[in-house]
Amino acid sequence: MPLFSDLALEASIAARSLADYVTGKGLRLGVTGLSRAGKTVFITALVHNLTRIGSLTVADSRRQMPVFRVWADGRLTRAALDAQPDDAVPRFAYEDHLAALTAGEDRHWPQSTRRISELRITLEFESKAGWRGGPSTLPIDIVDYPGEWLLDLPLLGKSYAQWSRETLEASSSAARAMLAKDWRGFLTTISAEEPADENKARKAAEIFTAYLRACREDRYSLSTLPPGRFLMPGDMEGSPALTFAPLPVAEGADLPAGSLGAMMERRYEAYRTHVVRPFFRDHFARLDRQIVLVDALAALNSGPAAVRDLETALTDILTAFRAGSSSLLSTIFRPRIDRILFAATKADHLHHTSHDRLEAILQHLTGRAIARAQGVGATVDVIALAAVRATREASVRQGRDMLDAIAGIPMAGETIGGETFDGRTEAAIFPGELPADPQSVFRGDALATPAGEAEWRFARFRPPVAMIAADGRPAPLPHIRLDRALEFLLGDKLA
Amino acid sequence: MSDAARSARRPRAFILDDGKGARAPDVEIEAQDDAYEHEALAADLPPDEVAVEQAQKRGIAARALLSWAGVFWSALGGLVTLALGLWFDALIEGLYARAPALGWVGLALLAVAALALLVLATREALAVFRQKRIAAMHAAIAAARAKDDRDAARALMQQLIGLYERRPETARARAQVLDLTREIVDGRDLIDIAERGLMHPLDERVQREIAGAAKRVSVVTAISPRAILDVLFVMAQTARLIRRISEIYGGRPGFLGFLRLVKSVGAHLAITGGMAVGDSLVQQIVGHGIAARLSARLGEGVLNGLLTARVGISAMSVCRPMPFSVEKPPGVSDVAPFLLSRGKSDA
Repeated sequence: MPLFSDLALEASIAARSLADYVTGKGLRLGVTGLSRAGKTVFITALVHNLTRIGSLTVADSRRQMPVFRVWADGRLTRAALDAQPDDAVPRFAYEDHLAALTAGEDRHWPQSTRRISELRITLEFESKAGWRGGPSTLPIDIVDYPGEWLLDLPLLGKSYAQWSRETLEASSSAARAMLAKDWRGFLTTISAEEPADENKARKAAEIFTAYLRACREDRYSLSTLPPGRFLMPGDMEGSPALTFAPLPVAEGADLPAGSLGAMMERRYEAYRTHVVRPFFRDHFARLDRQIVLVDALAALNSGPAAVRDLETALTDILTAFRAGSSSLLSTIFRPRIDRILFAATKADHLHHTSHDRLEAILQHLTGRAIARAQGVGATVDVIALAAVRATREASVRQGRDMLDAIAGIPMAGETIGGETFDGRTEAAIFPGELPADPQSVFRGDALATPAGEAEWRFARFRPPVAMIAADGRPAPLPHIRLDRALEFLLGDKLA
Repeated sequence: MSDAARSARRPRAFILDDGKGARAPDVEIEAQDDAYEHEALAADLPPDEVAVEQAQKRGIAARALLSWAGVFWSALGGLVTLALGLWFDALIEGLYARAPALGWVGLALLAVAALALLVLATREALAVFRQKRIAAMHAAIAAARAKDDRDAARALMQQLIGLYERRPETARARAQVLDLTREIVDGRDLIDIAERGLMHPLDERVQREIAGAAKRVSVVTAISPRAILDVLFVMAQTARLIRRISEIYGGRPGFLGFLRLVKSVGAHLAITGGMAVGDSLVQQIVGHGIAARLSARLGEGVLNGLLTARVGISAMSVCRPMPFSVEKPPGVSDVAPFLLSRGKSDA
């Protein structure tokens, strides 16, 4: 049975891919990251920059994206949003997000990704690649989806009993035991063999979800939390496929029909069939390029336990990618991701002199994942970026100390060095120094480190005020290395 | 780290007032330059580098056979080979007709000649290939340095070390760079260290060669009795100089390779001619003028020497397996100061 369904899945992926090839699809760029990594801001800034190229003078536009070759060479003539090819997928609400970012006094970071969405942007440029030179177009389908869903993909290969055991083991680790106390307490009151009861199942799912949510909180910033739809239910909220929870079940044991355990197992299977598999087939297996945004700063704020957890999550995410160098045959039948970029976002929250250390930490976080992807021929890179740059850099002299600081308007409620901000005051912040040895951030068990003890603390800032261009609409916002990311992801298609 | 020093590096916030100064009295705040603009600028290839790569593409790294000229020469070469074949055939048959022993001798000589030709042709092909590889390495190193790409830089430095494996005098520099490729060093830094350690001694040798050639050319031009003699001498010296420079940097130009090299040097001179106005051309004219006032012959000698030095510098940029970045590309006044300073001290 599993073999048959796997075959059917592969066949439907190949058929879909062939259909894509025949109808002429664009380059599918996957944008993902765990929640609050900055996916929405990244896509909004990316689209805004590209579509507003016409509003910039030639000299200004060079300064905006010097590393993005097609842009800096002056070969990119126009970029416009187009109708997306998949009618059943929600459109990325670019206009709303941009309005939120550029709303003058009320500007705020746009709402986060709650479901999959898609946007097609078509680039018109002049190619200079030998005999294929001349005017060309490249449609790019940007696919935005929560990284939590990726953590579900390994579930495709796990039975209910196996998943239950792993989840229970994870919840007993030093970092999580305290957060999982309620749920583990509840587990002792129910057993898998007792008759099925909808109320108990709902209660179990509720408490389990509450535990997952607690892990995700700012203070803890844990990452590995499947099943992902429990945190990002989308439109499936309340359906039976989302109303289950792990129970202590022996692997291989037969659960009596009509028991609570059997009901949970059936729902777990339903979750895999109706949630995980369609996502894999319809969206995930069709990507050509992938950028994984990582909010390493939140994990660093929380402590080593959160950083290690993030590492596990990223490695799990990477096992889901079908990486490898692409060929004509693979393009037709089995698209492969041939370029993966890991980006530590919010790089504007620390001084540029610390970026090398941040990149080193990210390199370390994704080390296992990168080695795997490179082994099969994919190109992987790691950068520190900020899709929207909210700060400037300044040097602060206090007494004999010289500090490299960043200046901006911290969000209301942020606390640094005993100072709490109201969201209107501007401040220069010295966030502390990252260690020179990237391994040292993985050592220890601390979680939710209190502000007073931390050696670093990265505050969040409000978005910068957008300049108004000559046509009265907001000009592209400043960024850090967004151009480098674009060059890596798209550069070869725009040669 | 002591506790006091540690607490000094703890996270801190300084509230700013409207004048963008700090509210606290003992704190000074100063805006910094935008580091990302510098970073982006560094990602662009400098114009010198673009000139060198263009020049390399026109000569050393040119793809033959894709032009009509290439087709013409190939077809003509084929015809000539056929004609030679016919002629040899007739010759050997004639020899056999006269005496079988003579025929055998002729055949043996032909075989030896063919073998030698094969070896020569292989060597030529290898030499061209080697130069192409050096040019490709040059471009790749420039790109890796611009992008600060650590992995690419490591691989390229291994290649560069391979290029100088047979040079005992580079042993220490090679070992040092090799050690660094295994450590965590930024791509850009690694390339810069390799340039300082590995390229610098070679650069110095090349500069001495250029200086020597310039000196010889200027002296011979000044004293030679016939114009045609010094034309020949200058050409021979220039050819020798270009060849020597290529050899010092690890190339081994044969005949074809040399032709390609000359093309590249010519292209580089043409491209950079305009840029050099500010630097050497003015000096050249000044130097020439003062020397020429003393003696027409001497002036010609100085001018020829200066031109030889210019050719040498172009050959240097084209043959070098990596671009000039931390090392300053030499100007005429660096390699042949005697031609200019003598003019000044005489004046």
